Amino acid sequence: MKVSCSVTVKNSSGLHARPAAFIAKLLKHAKSSVYFTCKDQRVDARSAMNLLLLMARQHSEILIEAEGDDAEEICRLITNAFETEFEV
Amino acid sequence: MDKKEEEIWIQGQPISEGIAMGIPFFLDLGAESIPEFPITIGEVDDEITRYRDALISSRHDLQQIEKGLIHEGSEDAADVIATHIQMLDDPIMTTGMEEKIRQMLQNTESVFQTVIGNYAQKYSQMSDHFFQQRLIDVMDLAKRVLRHLCLETQVAVTEIPFNSIVFANTLEPSYTASAPTSRVHAFVTEVGGVSSHAALIARAKGIPYVICPNLQSLRGLQVSSVIVDGKTGDLILNPTMQTLQKYRQKKTCMKTHYQLLQKESHAQTETLDGQQIKVLANIGPLSDLIGFKQSGADGVGLFRSEYLFLEHPNQPPTEEFQYQNYKELIEQVGDKPIVFRVFDVGGDKKLDFLGPMLKEPNPMLGCRGIRFLLHYPVIFRTQLKALFRACRGADVRILLPFVADCDEWMRATQIMAEVLAELSPAPSYIPVGCMIEIPSAVMACGALAERSQFLSIGTNDLFQYTLGADRNNPLVGDAYSPMHPSMLQMIVRVVQEAARFQRSLSVCGEVASRPLYLPLLLGLGITEISCSPRDVPIVKSAIRKLSLASCQALAVKALSMSSSSEITQLLKN
Repeated sequence: MKVSCSVTVKNSSGLHARPAAFIAKLLKHAKSSVYFTCKDQRVDARSAMNLLLLMARQHSEILIEAEGDDAEEICRLITNAFETEFEV
Repeated sequence: MDKKEEEIWIQGQPISEGIAMGIPFFLDLGAESIPEFPITIGEVDDEITRYRDALISSRHDLQQIEKGLIHEGSEDAADVIATHIQMLDDPIMTTGMEEKIRQMLQNTESVFQTVIGNYAQKYSQMSDHFFQQRLIDVMDLAKRVLRHLCLETQVAVTEIPFNSIVFANTLEPSYTASAPTSRVHAFVTEVGGVSSHAALIARAKGIPYVICPNLQSLRGLQVSSVIVDGKTGDLILNPTMQTLQKYRQKKTCMKTHYQLLQKESHAQTETLDGQQIKVLANIGPLSDLIGFKQSGADGVGLFRSEYLFLEHPNQPPTEEFQYQNYKELIEQVGDKPIVFRVFDVGGDKKLDFLGPMLKEPNPMLGCRGIRFLLHYPVIFRTQLKALFRACRGADVRILLPFVADCDEWMRATQIMAEVLAELSPAPSYIPVGCMIEIPSAVMACGALAERSQFLSIGTNDLFQYTLGADRNNPLVGDAYSPMHPSMLQMIVRVVQEAARFQRSLSVCGEVASRPLYLPLLLGLGITEISCSPRDVPIVKSAIRKLSLASCQALAVKALSMSSSSEITQLLKN
């Protein structure tokens, strides 16, 4: 299954170290492959270091593509993480 | 080199306070040459094992550093190190690297150098200041791994000569964290910022730190000694005997002044017009007790028992372990009173062993403080049992954190009564107090004062929840003075209600340790203050210079003001 959705970075400091680590942790046990695209850069979302390369500031749009058994669930989790600004 | 040994004054940016003198030590980071040679397919597995070992050793280092920082109470610094540990699991560092070793068939160091080099290059193409700071963390981690791969590529911070003033282009957080204060007297860097991780760590460790953007121009000069003044940002190269004398005096002055304050600190504290004020100390880990004894504090105003938890994040501390710790605390404090705050976790203080149970979208408004203990009554009961066993005969008072209203109060005291009833012989009477740190508790403080034996205002949280602003977030926190008109109104209300029921009332939190705010606190009717042991002598000495009558006049004036900038202006005059 292939799912894609788009999110907006809400938190003021953007997709910096802690949110990136948060996403990578979230995907640790995901079955799907997950890619983030921002400003024409596409990276594997399992790597927090790669996510930092997006340098996604507040209000940036990010396209999420997930492919695999749990793609839909993963998209939902990620959207939720962005919505709640990565607060655990 | 005609400028040899000439005294040079440079104005830098002050980052971390204090005066230091020493010998310059130039850390030339990043200039290592990495060996590069091909390997055969048969050697790939060995290389990968070597790489994995380097990751394990790096993780081990970082965990040690993290542990040390938590022990010191430098939690913010520990957070930085925690992100480094997480990065070790990044696919770029793990599977990505192993793939590259197979692909490139070269020794691990050179492959690693290439991978990190490529990453840094991509990173540097972006010109976002905030994100640039994060690259420093990645490079710091990379150097650590590299050090474990090819040994001795960099001077270990523990090998820096004694009495060094360390000059560097930029400071790596973990390097700063592991710097022994006997060797590193001060830091001077070209790049950095007040809010950088390294700055935060330097301040937490009390190492003076100045940023000076044009260090490059100093190369070629012969510098034999340096003075750093972390308060003014002054950097003096090759100071003359005269200057050196002056700064030695200044430093000794500061030290003797503090020692003098420390000596006087053991006496009771009164304002000029005879109002007695108690100055107590906040204690985190038990190692704080050394500072406590020297501080002259009138008691422990806040024992943060959650440190026991934070030091053992994998499992809740057992009753026996807690009992031993509390017993030691009580013995060390002697006959002075102890305000024992029961575990205040949740919010920004997370516990690993509760990980999956405690996933909250908004932890600052979540299961924290007393709510946490009501939610996990077993943890609460175990702590109470250990405390009740340990505190027989001692002057211990229990403080309940983050109470929102009377319902929570009653549920908590109900559990206490049950635990007490199970113990025989029952311990003597133990007063129970309530932390006032949520606006709802301020509104309900009459009822809370009626039910409890004492109140304690936690200004840090009360500020955040009243103004809806995170004090650690420079975008919003800096905009408000902690003595905001709303805060003053809240304090007045709590003071009045505490007086109506004749309950004692203390203030703990950042404002309590700042001499600037003391006159206002006293004027509003506060007679007990709890601050960090280091600040106790300073606070006591400041109080002795105040007259209560003029503090009260000041408070009346401040209460009539409607903006925090007006109030700040008033206090500064």
